[in-house]
Amino acid sequence: MDGIVDARGMACPAPVVKTRDALKGGARDIEVLVDNPTARDNVCRFATSQGCTADVREEGDIFRIAVSKTTEAPSDRPEPEAADSGIRSVVVLSEDIMGRGNRELGEILVKAFLNTLAESDPPPWRMVLFNSGVKLAVEGSDTVQALSNLESLGVEILVCGTCLDFFGLKEKLAAGTVSNMYDILTTMLSATNSVAI
Amino acid sequence: MGPEDLEKVLRLLPPGDARQDVLVGLDTPDDAAVFMLDGETALVHTLDFFTPIVDDPYLFGQIAAANALSDIYAMGGTPISAMNIVCFPCSLGMDILVRILEGGLAKIREAGAVLLGGHTVDDEEPKYGLAVTGKVHPDRIMTSLGAEPGDHLVLTKSLGTGILATALKGDFLNETEMAGAIEGMTRLNVAASAAALAAGAHACTDVTGFGLVGHLLNMLPQGGLACEVSASLFPVYEGAREMAAMGMIPAGAHRNREFLSTRVEVSPGVEEIDRDLLFDPQTSGGLLIALPPQGVEAFAQQMGGAGSWTRIGEFTQSPGPVIRVNP
Repeated sequence: MDGIVDARGMACPAPVVKTRDALKGGARDIEVLVDNPTARDNVCRFATSQGCTADVREEGDIFRIAVSKTTEAPSDRPEPEAADSGIRSVVVLSEDIMGRGNRELGEILVKAFLNTLAESDPPPWRMVLFNSGVKLAVEGSDTVQALSNLESLGVEILVCGTCLDFFGLKEKLAAGTVSNMYDILTTMLSATNSVAI
Repeated sequence: MGPEDLEKVLRLLPPGDARQDVLVGLDTPDDAAVFMLDGETALVHTLDFFTPIVDDPYLFGQIAAANALSDIYAMGGTPISAMNIVCFPCSLGMDILVRILEGGLAKIREAGAVLLGGHTVDDEEPKYGLAVTGKVHPDRIMTSLGAEPGDHLVLTKSLGTGILATALKGDFLNETEMAGAIEGMTRLNVAASAAALAAGAHACTDVTGFGLVGHLLNMLPQGGLACEVSASLFPVYEGAREMAAMGMIPAGAHRNREFLSTRVEVSPGVEEIDRDLLFDPQTSGGLLIALPPQGVEAFAQQMGGAGSWTRIGEFTQSPGPVIRVNP
């Protein structure tokens, strides 16, 4: 046991902040005392998100939460490696066509690009779709099949949620998963190489 | 104050006066009251104020004002005048108060209303908001009741401000990282209100402290109506899901859940984070609108590019008022 964090009488987020500070200070085994269910749930969640275990013991009006570090915190851990090679290729599609100029040609090209991508070895680690690029992954688009094929090869396809909202297309998403700027940014920053279309 | 405590207090008070000129008063769960002057004009009254939700005083002023003005828009009204409500510690620099009031004034002007005055109280923790008066034609009032089976449920802003504000307080993110939510909270519900009126909305309310569930329950009368919502359709501010997973659930969400969860059926497939969003108290949230199916297209056209809106569910026939949440 590296210490006790007494967060009784404190409202959220204070109990989580104190837990975070204790863990940041190098503690690996702490006991957090809280006196309300919101704080109990929040501290447990925070512990789990940091790769810790959390065991709650109820004593009268107090919850004693034993927080133990079992692994390195996710933020200290490198991003998961792509299969065996260590190469993390990211393909970025910020438009629903490929190249500037003729739109019709751009549509043909992007479809061909995605079909060819599904045959590349190894396939990319992740794909990121934003701005009008999200339209490639919605119902009625003839690139959905190619994207689904890529997904079945294990390619993670991140589709910008803000963009889907903007175009009113969230209900029509047919491939990939709705994502946010945090995940998109993390993906782009942890890429070993990226290809932007 | 949580919904349970408020209900307890209101139960101890005498019922509202039954007068013909009180069109919306104490007896309905609406945020604003409507008083009829004559056959052409009714006044809409509301007030709302709270403690800072962001650190920047100008943005806080804007958010608090947009939040207070929203009650007028939810009733289908047009704001005409506003009064400042201010609690402020003298020890804090007066330049901060000036910035708060400037932010509020900017939103009052954007709404086409005029600031007429206000009242200040010396207090340990700053609080700011507005008392707003609006006008509405007595035949064009929207209230929280009136949805019919088959109506679509539309939400005009994203969810997650309670979670993000808690994270901001704990320094888990900064104001730049919650820019999306700040844009949403400072946005007036004026376009959404006009679109709802134009599309022949059956009912309307706004999402604030009691969360999506608390305010949606206000749209369900004692019998005959349920609402089915799909968690996968919830619009969510950037960062809110991550922060919820890190334990940034505000105490208000817990209070809402404790009091309201018996009236919500959550399917087992719904993720924990979506469950949190159901009860997350919102600041300056969007309008919840019951639209007849034939009105959806008109609504979409009216909204144009004026902020995001999402169809999140549908009203159905039911023996008792209940919200069903599907994945």
